[in-house]
Amino acid sequence: MISMNKVSKHYGSFQVLADCTTQVHKGEVIVVCGPSGSGKSTLIKCVNGLEPFQSGEIIVNGVSVGDPKTNLSKLRSTVGMVFQNFELFPHMSIIDNLGIAQVKVLGRTQDQAREKGFKLLDRVGLRAQAEKYPGQLSGGQQQRVAIARALAMDPICMLFDEPTSALDPEMVNEVLDVMTELAQEGMTMMCVTHEMGFAKRVASRVIFMDQGRIVEDDSKDAFFDHARSERAQQFLAKILHH
Amino acid sequence: MGYNWNWGIFLQPTATGDDTYLGWMFYGFKMTIALSLSAWLIALAVGAVVGVLRTVPNKWLSGIATAYVEIFRNIPLLVQLFLWYFVMPELLPESVGNAFKQTNPIMQQFLASMVCLALFTSARVAEQVRSGINSLPPGQKNAGLAMGFTLPQTYRYVMLPMAVRLIVPPLTSEFLNIFKNSAVCSTIGLLELAAEGRQLVDYTAQPYESFIAVTLAYLLINVVVMFGMRWVEEHVRVPGYLGGK
Repeated sequence: MISMNKVSKHYGSFQVLADCTTQVHKGEVIVVCGPSGSGKSTLIKCVNGLEPFQSGEIIVNGVSVGDPKTNLSKLRSTVGMVFQNFELFPHMSIIDNLGIAQVKVLGRTQDQAREKGFKLLDRVGLRAQAEKYPGQLSGGQQQRVAIARALAMDPICMLFDEPTSALDPEMVNEVLDVMTELAQEGMTMMCVTHEMGFAKRVASRVIFMDQGRIVEDDSKDAFFDHARSERAQQFLAKILHH
Repeated sequence: MGYNWNWGIFLQPTATGDDTYLGWMFYGFKMTIALSLSAWLIALAVGAVVGVLRTVPNKWLSGIATAYVEIFRNIPLLVQLFLWYFVMPELLPESVGNAFKQTNPIMQQFLASMVCLALFTSARVAEQVRSGINSLPPGQKNAGLAMGFTLPQTYRYVMLPMAVRLIVPPLTSEFLNIFKNSAVCSTIGLLELAAEGRQLVDYTAQPYESFIAVTLAYLLINVVVMFGMRWVEEHVRVPGYLGGK
């Protein structure tokens, strides 16, 4: 579904991504982790073309992201994305946040969009908040709305960019629960996250990045039981103690 | 102080006999409002476009927009007015220039003043619009694009609605400024409020009454604008955001 081949990106002489190669198959859940500044967020943003890259190739569902002839908007409408800071549209009610792109991008009617929106809000347990505004919800609720908003577009895969990093600790689980459910339903997912519990529960594979390189790309059992690189072992030793 | 106050002067017929002095004042008052409002509408439209262009990724478009802003906000308003009124008609193609010069002189003064105030103010509005867009969290643009919106759609549905709300307070100042700046147009002979005030002094030798009346009239306009904009501000407030309920 997603295939990356030798993707590289640099700002001036600073190498952000170096020869990143990996595949994500349909139904897989890939967890991307690594120290801050290792390029994981950049990597995931390259998948839907939010970050340009200088060399290499990314194919999403048969479409080349880097090709200037590609209609990026159309491609992005099929790839759901959830951000660290939720990024709901503050001037719209929750139900309109879920509806606007369905109407303006997919051409659904207002009624279809609302119906779909209510169904998804039900699913993330926020039906009662439909007419509220993002600023009136807690962080965890906002992130669940953001997931519902991405799902409203019927995406073929979902990208998560540190979805729980900006949350109060007590709200992390409500978001992870929604993500776990989604993974168990067979959604193809690529998640940048430090939640190793989540990774152990649902990941098919774990990618470990350091200094712009994919250092490990292995099944979760192999990664957690005997990470090969020293850098990954150090990283795991540090975060698994908590 | 040996000054003879005479508030009754406003009700007396003018020396030319066509109206009362209050009527002259009222003519100037209407002229100031017509001029400022028409210029304001143009300034908002042009300013919004130029402000947006300053933030787009295309270097040519943002460069042109930057040049526009720098030109119109760095030349004194009075000089701009003279350029529009005295110089511009000579630079236009001869047929257009002549057509302009053959219109009614009041219309010539009005048009030059309107264009001048509108473009001067549009550069300032553009800066407000740009700062509004730049003050949004950078993730908002990505969120819009990631939903499949094109860049223009992202501006239209995601960024501008919030940016415009954020800049209502500074826009209020610009709206007030345009009424005050319109007094400059008396220098090319347009009989707006300030010009009528001076004319009254010449005809009646009652400067205090005349300029007190002018001051109160400007004050009235600006109080109305202030309350109007406050109403706008309260009605576009986003719940749960920046002082909203």
